[in-house]
Amino acid sequence: MTILMSESPPVLEKDLEPLRPWSKRPASFWLAAFLGSVVPLAILGALYLTTDLAVALLLIAFYLPLQLIGAGLAGYFAKGKHGIADSAIIVFAIGATALSAIILGSMLLTIIVRGIAAFRPSFIIQNSTYISPSTPLEYGGIGHAILGTFLIVGIATIISVPFGIATAVYVTEVRGRAVPYVRFFVQAMSGVPSVVAGLFVLTVFILTGVLNTSAMAAAIAYAILMLPTIARTAEEVLRLVPEELRTGALALGSTRARVVLNVVVPAAKTGIITAILLGIARVVGETAPLLLTALKNDQTVLNPFTDPISALPTFIFDNVAQPYPDAVTRAWGAALALLIIVGILFTITRFISARKPRR
Amino acid sequence: MEETVVAMEEMGVDVVATEREPQTIEMSAKGVSVWFGKRKILENVNMDFPKKTVTALIGPSGCGKSTFIRTLNRLHELIPGAALAGEILYEGQDIYRQDVDPVHIRLSIGMVFQKPNPFPSMTIRGNVLSGLKLSGMKRPDHDALVEQTLTSAGLWKEVKDRLNAPAGDLSGGQQQRLVIARALAVNPHVLLMDEPCSALDPASTLKIEETVRELSKEITIIIVTHNMQQAVRVSDYTAFFLAEENQPGYVVEQGLTTEIFGNPRDQRTLDYVNGRFG
Repeated sequence: MTILMSESPPVLEKDLEPLRPWSKRPASFWLAAFLGSVVPLAILGALYLTTDLAVALLLIAFYLPLQLIGAGLAGYFAKGKHGIADSAIIVFAIGATALSAIILGSMLLTIIVRGIAAFRPSFIIQNSTYISPSTPLEYGGIGHAILGTFLIVGIATIISVPFGIATAVYVTEVRGRAVPYVRFFVQAMSGVPSVVAGLFVLTVFILTGVLNTSAMAAAIAYAILMLPTIARTAEEVLRLVPEELRTGALALGSTRARVVLNVVVPAAKTGIITAILLGIARVVGETAPLLLTALKNDQTVLNPFTDPISALPTFIFDNVAQPYPDAVTRAWGAALALLIIVGILFTITRFISARKPRR
Repeated sequence: MEETVVAMEEMGVDVVATEREPQTIEMSAKGVSVWFGKRKILENVNMDFPKKTVTALIGPSGCGKSTFIRTLNRLHELIPGAALAGEILYEGQDIYRQDVDPVHIRLSIGMVFQKPNPFPSMTIRGNVLSGLKLSGMKRPDHDALVEQTLTSAGLWKEVKDRLNAPAGDLSGGQQQRLVIARALAVNPHVLLMDEPCSALDPASTLKIEETVRELSKEITIIIVTHNMQQAVRVSDYTAFFLAEENQPGYVVEQGLTTEIFGNPRDQRTLDYVNGRFG
């Protein structure tokens, strides 16, 4: 026994620092890395100064390939042949990610910088009655369009959620004979161009006189677009509910309906909320169906059946093409408002889906 | 054989006490054969389950024990391609008669599964009462019912202060006892248990075995197990299932647990209970 036990732990002279011995690299690596990163940058700088080529073109056509070659060489010097692919793939992944981040970031930045010029309390709460494209920014706002978007999307949600979830329940719980056809159809529907949904509502509801050009008509077009997203996402989350819960409920003398209502759907609750929010995010920026079904209106409309109505996408569409700078700034402001709404929706979605049910 | 009896006595099983007086039959299987699609899984099973006894179904994997136990409360038919011949009599009536509602059968014949399956969206208390909610059954005094069933399942002391905690907070062994309490809350006459301890540690297993012994004073229990000692510890009767390769399973031998383990008539039973195959 005593032999196996060490007498006492060796006394440390000082506290140990956390080390990473695996990240030590030979000098040749640093030399290669230096050449691989500085040389391409130098060439990029020289080209930028001596030619008139656009920065984006230089980045994609010269810098990235040179950087790849440099990284490959650095990998070769540091680790031999198999280092080439390793380094090249890492550089390519970083480069491609950075490129998409730059594109998305510059888009966001443009919208924020240009849109913020229009933002003020009156811009959010006022409507555009008596406002012409040349009216200064101090007057008028997008309140009516924000309300219009909420009204149309709200009605579309009320219409599409029951159908979407019912479709998902049919596919995963009822498991009828038509399941493969239903799934195929829903999948095909998710590819329907939004203008086609608008055309459908225009011909079937508006030209026949059933509905006016109104929020209701637009909501039906939106609902058609939301339905496949909700149905497919809800189907995925219902499929994740363990089969044991269903048999467990059935073994307790439950009817099929109660299995679905009291066990399966509550177990998939957060996922279903995510499905609904994804459906909303799918349509909230759609413009084409609104042009055919809701047109525009400078006044605030709250009755979904009677009058044409503006929403954020149509407001942007109307104003961005005007030859007056203030109208264009209003369009950017509306774009920023739309972006904020979508951002809030996705934040809520992430927040909800991050709260996984325990075990 | 002698060894087994001695071993059983060492384990604290009163061998003589399990040989009870002849009792009334709660359930029985008459000539039951089972198919999935064209494949025959079980061949001609005949078995009686006397009231307030524990019957253990033992045998190697893939011999149809679990399939058989699922025919007893009509869960079998939920699997696509399932088919069945023969009769399952419960209180003298075939449960597969056309006018029998499987929902009623499953209310009287409860089931506990291999993997604990508490409903994650409900609390501990909600899980115990979920059977009432799901079946629309009315029972008075829910508080007393929760306490009584959790006590029967041997879980009350551990959870009485956190009945409103999510069921997912419990350990695997606790979840399995919660599921037993849930099954008891609808007042079943028969409880089917499909390898209820296979996912549990030895301590939880012992607790569940105590629960089974305790419950058998009130209800009839049929338990599938791969654990031979467990069969000896908890059951009054044992049936030994076997299936040759690609052949349907069948019952090799059935009878009092003491007989099956202490003095089996068939050589294959002797080999199996002594751990020589399977």
